Amino acid sequence: MGQVGTAGEIGPEILDACRRGDRDAFRALYDAYKDRVYSIAFYFFHGDRDAASEVTQQVFLKLMRELGRFRGDSAFSTWLHRLTVNACVDRARRRRTDTEATDPVSLDAMPRRGPSHEDAFAERELADAVRAAIAGLPAKLRAAILLRYLDELSYSEMATALNCSIGTVASRLSRGHRLLARRLAPLRATPKG
Amino acid sequence: MFTRHVSERLSRYCDGDLAPADTVVVEAHLAKCRRCRGELEEIRFAARLVRQLAVVPAPAAVWHGIDGALDETPAARWQVPVVKWACAAVLLLAAIGAATYWWSGAEAAWEVATNGTNRRLAAGQWVETGPDVRARISVGEIGTVDVEPSSRVRLGESGSSGYRLALARGTISAQIVAPPRLFIVDTPVGSVVDLGCAYTMTVDDDGRGVLRMTEGWTALEWKGRESLVPAGAMCRTRPGSGPGMPYFEDATDTLKAAADAFDTGELSAIDIILRDARVRDTLTLWHLLSRVAPGQRARVYDRILELVPPPPNVSREAVLALDADALGRLREELAWHW
Repeated sequence: MGQVGTAGEIGPEILDACRRGDRDAFRALYDAYKDRVYSIAFYFFHGDRDAASEVTQQVFLKLMRELGRFRGDSAFSTWLHRLTVNACVDRARRRRTDTEATDPVSLDAMPRRGPSHEDAFAERELADAVRAAIAGLPAKLRAAILLRYLDELSYSEMATALNCSIGTVASRLSRGHRLLARRLAPLRATPKG
Repeated sequence: MFTRHVSERLSRYCDGDLAPADTVVVEAHLAKCRRCRGELEEIRFAARLVRQLAVVPAPAAVWHGIDGALDETPAARWQVPVVKWACAAVLLLAAIGAATYWWSGAEAAWEVATNGTNRRLAAGQWVETGPDVRARISVGEIGTVDVEPSSRVRLGESGSSGYRLALARGTISAQIVAPPRLFIVDTPVGSVVDLGCAYTMTVDDDGRGVLRMTEGWTALEWKGRESLVPAGAMCRTRPGSGPGMPYFEDATDTLKAAADAFDTGELSAIDIILRDARVRDTLTLWHLLSRVAPGQRARVYDRILELVPPPPNVSREAVLALDADALGRLREELAWHW
């Protein structure tokens, strides 16, 4: 997922223009970060496009409202990640539709990768399995895994985005890895890549 | 020789985030421990699979939704038939005092509605409502201000660089959807700087004010003092001392009374504030940090840390020294509970 993380930090002049209400600047900011925000929400909610769209809209509208509070103490993208994770968690709590978070996906329910001559199909099947396994993680572990591997945040950036210590980040990632490995064990014999 | 398992450090090891000395320890342990090697393989396996997830482009409809929300004028969002308000004759006084100075040359930039009648008024003019009259001021395309009965509001600058009103007396309710600091309301003892919000501000005949936030944030600013007020919180302003400490309206009555008492000079009220503070009352405690005597500051900070874990990268010494960066970082951490 390196391409998501390769988008550089938006410049301070864009942020200043946004604070002044420059709609073009806000659009530039949106274009720079929209896929990052949407992708995190998409995988957080197990591929629910409606939920991902709603969260993305909320995050950018909130960003527009609260940009005046951002004073550059951390990287802008870290602040944005924090808004995104909080919006995801809030939505999951509010709607209580995040059934995967409280009802972990069983191995039997997950698509297994069987023999196939269609690489595209196999890749899709694999992605579905990984997505289901991620969706089955508790919300805090899910957020940590997505920030680490979807956006390639450092442990320090994750600690800021998740409002916890680096040790807690490491602990959540460890637990997340362990759960994912167990849930994806059926794929282990023939891992892709 | 037995060594402790290194499970909790394996993720950081795998990601190359461990210090060199720790890396040596972990590698030495892995060389001898089959269980930890197995866990490392699990991590690598899971990480390899998760890294294969593809970026999902945000659909174009997402921007259309945002764009539409930005375009949506509060007049449409919170539309209330103006005719419901008016129950008496319209009393709209214009062109008072300095208003005449601008009258001839100024563009009539403000639209004011009372009793179903719209009028355009210029900067410098006053809107004054009678005992039974309400008015609605349109703030460009970014919102509305409802003026309650027996209120007096002066119209200030308006345009793309910002909008400014002055509330001399009475009550206004502002509903603004705009970038921060584009809309400001001056009162006798403080300016209400909009950070994207909805609020009610009341000023009595003696100049004392009460700000109640219903949505978003505002900053109350006066002579270098600033109080940040989020949704659900309120803040009083007093002649001579400006904005007081904000507190949430659902705080205990004793905490609210103590905060007011502290603002009026009763310094012993700090004991009650510290005792009654909940997690979200760190709003009040954060403001208290810079308003107590230096000898009391550590007590306030310790109470904050009892309620919320110490944030990373914020040193105790810097907070107690009122370092602006440290206080800013602390506020950003605490604000997630406000």
